[in-house]
Amino acid sequence: MAQIIEARAVSKRFRQHRRFPGFLGALKTLVTAEYTEIEAVTDVSFAIAQGEAVGYLGPNGAGKSTMIKMMTGILVPSAGDLTVLGRVPHRERQANAREIGVVFGQRSQLWWDLPVRDSFELHREIYGIPRPRFDENLKSLSSLLDLEPFLERAVRQLSLGQRMRAEIVMALLHDPKILFLDEPTIGLDVVAKDAVRKFLSRVNRERGTTIILTTHDLQDIEEICPRLIMVDHSRLIFDGETAKLRTALGSARRLMLEFAADPGPLELKSARLTSDDGLRKHYLLERDDISLVHVLDEIGDTTALKDISIEEPNIEEVIRTFYQRRNAELPPR
Amino acid sequence: MSVYFAFARSAFLTQLAYRHEVWANMIGKLVQVFARVAIWVAIYGGTASIAGVSLEQMVTYALLGGAVTGAIRYESIISGIGQALRTGDVAVWLLKPASFPLYVLATELGRAAFRFVILVVPTVAVVAAVYGMLPPASPFHGVMFVAYGLLAYTIIALLSALFGLVAFWLLTSFSLEWMMQAILNLLSGQLIPFWFFPAPVAVIAAHLPFAWIVYYPSAVWLGRLDVTATLSYFGLGLGWAALLAVGVVLLWRQASTRIVVQGG
Amino acid sequence: MLRTLRILPRLALMYLRSQLEYRGAFWIDRVAQVITYASSFAVIWILADRFGTIAGWNWSELALLFSFHLLGYSLGACMSFTQMRQLEEAVRLGTLDTLLTKPISPWAYMVFSGLNPGYTGHALLGIVMMGWALSIVAVPWSIGWVAYFLASLISAAMVTGAVLTMIGATALIWTRSNHLYSLFFGFWELSRYPINIFPTAIQATMLSFVPLGFMAAVPVAVLLGKPVPILGDWAGPAALLAGPFFVALAMWQWRYALDRYQGAGG
Repeated sequence: MAQIIEARAVSKRFRQHRRFPGFLGALKTLVTAEYTEIEAVTDVSFAIAQGEAVGYLGPNGAGKSTMIKMMTGILVPSAGDLTVLGRVPHRERQANAREIGVVFGQRSQLWWDLPVRDSFELHREIYGIPRPRFDENLKSLSSLLDLEPFLERAVRQLSLGQRMRAEIVMALLHDPKILFLDEPTIGLDVVAKDAVRKFLSRVNRERGTTIILTTHDLQDIEEICPRLIMVDHSRLIFDGETAKLRTALGSARRLMLEFAADPGPLELKSARLTSDDGLRKHYLLERDDISLVHVLDEIGDTTALKDISIEEPNIEEVIRTFYQRRNAELPPR
Repeated sequence: MSVYFAFARSAFLTQLAYRHEVWANMIGKLVQVFARVAIWVAIYGGTASIAGVSLEQMVTYALLGGAVTGAIRYESIISGIGQALRTGDVAVWLLKPASFPLYVLATELGRAAFRFVILVVPTVAVVAAVYGMLPPASPFHGVMFVAYGLLAYTIIALLSALFGLVAFWLLTSFSLEWMMQAILNLLSGQLIPFWFFPAPVAVIAAHLPFAWIVYYPSAVWLGRLDVTATLSYFGLGLGWAALLAVGVVLLWRQASTRIVVQGG
Repeated sequence: MLRTLRILPRLALMYLRSQLEYRGAFWIDRVAQVITYASSFAVIWILADRFGTIAGWNWSELALLFSFHLLGYSLGACMSFTQMRQLEEAVRLGTLDTLLTKPISPWAYMVFSGLNPGYTGHALLGIVMMGWALSIVAVPWSIGWVAYFLASLISAAMVTGAVLTMIGATALIWTRSNHLYSLFFGFWELSRYPINIFPTAIQATMLSFVPLGFMAAVPVAVLLGKPVPILGDWAGPAALLAGPFFVALAMWQWRYALDRYQGAGG
């Protein structure tokens, strides 16, 4: 598969004027010109192929939005090579813009006081979409997201969910090869979130549009993105299948054994006992190469066993454990 | 009361944080004061005295006029109140144990204090050093100038708050900022003292509340008003201030009940 | 390029329609603006009426200066001021980011999607005053004079637009620019008086870094055959060249600033 986005050792630094605290500090700020450099993205490399759906995840300030802004040509990388569809985005910003769609969850691109349709028509002119293609796209996309009821209403009269649906449809009207979404579900209610997620998976599947999405909501990623890129403190820490994140970050699976009669305390080498209710015992499988077979082998006599369940931790839990562990490792200050 | 002092203090300190802004304002102020003085020098063009007013007195008048209006930004009061009312942000304030108009006035006074110290005093001093400036006509006039100055701040602040409240009904604060500009240009005496106005216009202008913003403080400094006139016009100014304060309170009640009823 | 030209009127029309959603406020604003300019005009009238001339300029000449200034300003500012004043906020809120993801020049989009119909008030007032001033001022009418008049008016509008744009564009680098507008309007207030009344330092500034002398004082002095300090005989060509020169400078600075755009920072 052809790689349509390639990032090689991309970094982005911001310069900020240094401020000094307090009243005298404020006076000092007035006359000094000291700058501090902030690393927003450090040495990040990845490649994304045509048709993928990739979740870009990380805590606030980890450099997610900065990366999206570099890929869309808004910001210029400080170092490294970045190509999108074979172009350097900031150098050929307009050519790049023609082939991508961008949705910012917190900034509307629709005209606040005018009907939704007017913004779409302007979009058609700006992207030079041929009339038949535009009509066809508008029809199919609006019926999928149920836009027809409010196409003629002024944007200021729409709910947040309706507006976000309109934003996403607009970003797809010119058949972009890549759709970038920065926090597309932020502030939406459960129903609206669900509609957006289903729609995006469908667009990815049926139209083959590559999707790159940043979010705080892990469910977005689980439902839309088979692949996950995770960043933290400006660096890339995971890139791979969303399902394999657990293995990579080393989170334990949970094992529950239920017995017909209490076998007494049962310590195992293959799994760590975490709680013992007598008939029910809970374990953690901390090593990935240990499977249920090993556990059963160790128990040997399984006739007393009534039920077994093994639970993969959900992605949220995996990430929470990861950050907790990382914070514990940080030196005190 | 200490709450409002805290608002004013933090507004004062915030101003310092934006150094480009401080420098730009200082240069802008300096240019403006120099220019206003230069206009009078050009108008006098060598004549010693026009209508009983010497060039020195006129230069002093121009410097003092810049001192009062230079420190306060009426537009931030107008748009601050106007916007909070229109967007409904003010609803949050109705829950707090502090009054919103007083909060806006306190922060603006904090900024005004900052501008007075950092911008107005140095620029007036520089221009005065170049062109010369007369001292107050007498110690009495000097003291009364300070009182008139404080009254001037009160009146311009109340007037701006009143305009900000009107903005709620007009759905635009923009036009009220422009109206305020027009008033300051002509009716405060900022650009031309009333003694150069055509006679009937001068009498009307001298009794409108705007006259206390620039004209009276400067005229008192120059000793254009005798002791009785100084005191009686001060009383009249206080009356205007009280009337404006009542207007602000009434409109504020009207506006906030409307917000509560309509839910923002 | 051709498509951009087709889009621009559409953007302007959409903005006009948005504005007319608030019809009442729109007209109140226009009335307020006319009153404000009338008050500035009244100040000059009172001065001229009282003192006869200011630095050798009589009342009708001052009226021509004022109306030239107002008309040139409104032509230049409608293409720049309100739009560029919003740039600071557009940077802070990230709306500029969304413009940068469109296949259109962000400058063209911003300027035309904010082409402010509010300036029609200024322009009308300026035209009426100018017609009246031209009827009372002693003018050496000729085709050359009229041509110079129109060309220098366009140049004045270009200077205005260029300076306002350059101020706005600094927000792309420093994220804040609006304080510089107060500096601009400090000089702007001076630029409707004859330039020879100011101290040399201010004259020099207004003919170089803050070229607002070219907004009215220099071209109108040339048109009325009055001396221009510092520039002397070069005043005529300088007033015509100032517009294109500062527009070119503004275009260069816009590109420079856009390359260094950091977003809202961090």
